[in-house]
Amino acid sequence: MSTSKVAKDLMIDVFEFPHIPYWFSIRQAIGIIKKSLLTKEKCLQPMAVLVFDEKYNLVGTVSMKDILRGLEPRFLKPTTKAQGHVADEAGLSVLWDTLFNKESKEMAEKPISDVMTPAKFFVLPDDPITKAAYLMVHNELALLPVLENNKKFVGLVRMIEVFDELSNNILEGRG
Amino acid sequence: MDNLIDRHKSEKLYVQLFDILKKKIEDGDWPVTSQIPTEEEICRTYEVSKATVRLSVLELVRQGYLTRQQGKGTFVCKRIIPEGLMMSTSFRELMLEAGVNFSTKLLAKTVTMPIDDIDVKLGVPEDRHIIYIRRLRLLDNEPILLQESYIPHHLCPSLLHDDVEDNSLFDLFEKKYGMKITRIVDFIEIAHVTAAEGQVLGLPEGAVAMLLEQHFYAGDTQVMYMRSVKRPERFRFYIEMERK
Repeated sequence: MSTSKVAKDLMIDVFEFPHIPYWFSIRQAIGIIKKSLLTKEKCLQPMAVLVFDEKYNLVGTVSMKDILRGLEPRFLKPTTKAQGHVADEAGLSVLWDTLFNKESKEMAEKPISDVMTPAKFFVLPDDPITKAAYLMVHNELALLPVLENNKKFVGLVRMIEVFDELSNNILEGRG
Repeated sequence: MDNLIDRHKSEKLYVQLFDILKKKIEDGDWPVTSQIPTEEEICRTYEVSKATVRLSVLELVRQGYLTRQQGKGTFVCKRIIPEGLMMSTSFRELMLEAGVNFSTKLLAKTVTMPIDDIDVKLGVPEDRHIIYIRRLRLLDNEPILLQESYIPHHLCPSLLHDDVEDNSLFDLFEKKYGMKITRIVDFIEIAHVTAAEGQVLGLPEGAVAMLLEQHFYAGDTQVMYMRSVKRPERFRFYIEMERK
């Protein structure tokens, strides 16, 4: 049995999430995450900031993970996956600790567009929820923009609602 | 002693602290451009709560004594504070939007959260969405004025879809959104342009320019904070005041 609900039935308002332009620095984005996401009584999931261009088009999303990755000193980033050399990856993080104040503070001046997750995938308002689920699973996304006429950003679909809806179908189908 | 909080006074603690901190700035104890102590340090020095310190500091920011920079701290402004000369001004002529034959280039119209002290200058909570409009005014195709406007999104969400190249925001507020502008507070100073501002205006970083900050009110609600950076030449201000 397939679900009859479509993206627009589940989507939430874009203004639930903080907005920033892509030219803000990582440091400025951190300030906004602290003020808009980490102090709120109601906890918004997933914790993300939406990134827009000068014409208010969505260009990406930023999570705390994106920011931490952006602050990582350059040499800690794995270059290529060297085969047979996976032991103690976290051991290198000791070096990050000693470098945190210097290099990470410099990195924090980079624009947020360098570290955001670009908005490459989206659904249309009348797309089935299964399409949203497919895109989320295969691209590791917890949030998916809903675009009207392939252009106008009208809302967001979250993993939470997609899961809830699809899992209801499974449970109902058991009997 | 006048530099300590007096808990027996009827005056609220944050008002007392505001006066103490203001005096520190005026007396030069906290020199111009210096960073002021952290909230925690001020709490300890005056034995008051964080909330009290925050209120006093925010008021000093709002009145232009201090400026906050996200992640860096709070600093003493270089600005001279105008002392209560209140007259009725025919402010239409003061407005840079009207009158002169500018051409306008829209550089950005998007939504952001407030950074630095924009929340205080606009009088909104720090987690409020704000419409950000950045326009370049040209005179004979020469860039002359860079204008950034901040408007609380909830006041007029569809402003995002309005043409703000050919329409003045002032007219849109009054005619389309029914928000009659009843008061404008202006701060004018000589400032140095940042690298980004200089690039747009064709000036080297640090060059002298005129900075005009305007707060627009409809009744008690601030509807816009506008920051304009102007090339220093080719401008003359016209201000007319009338005693009421």
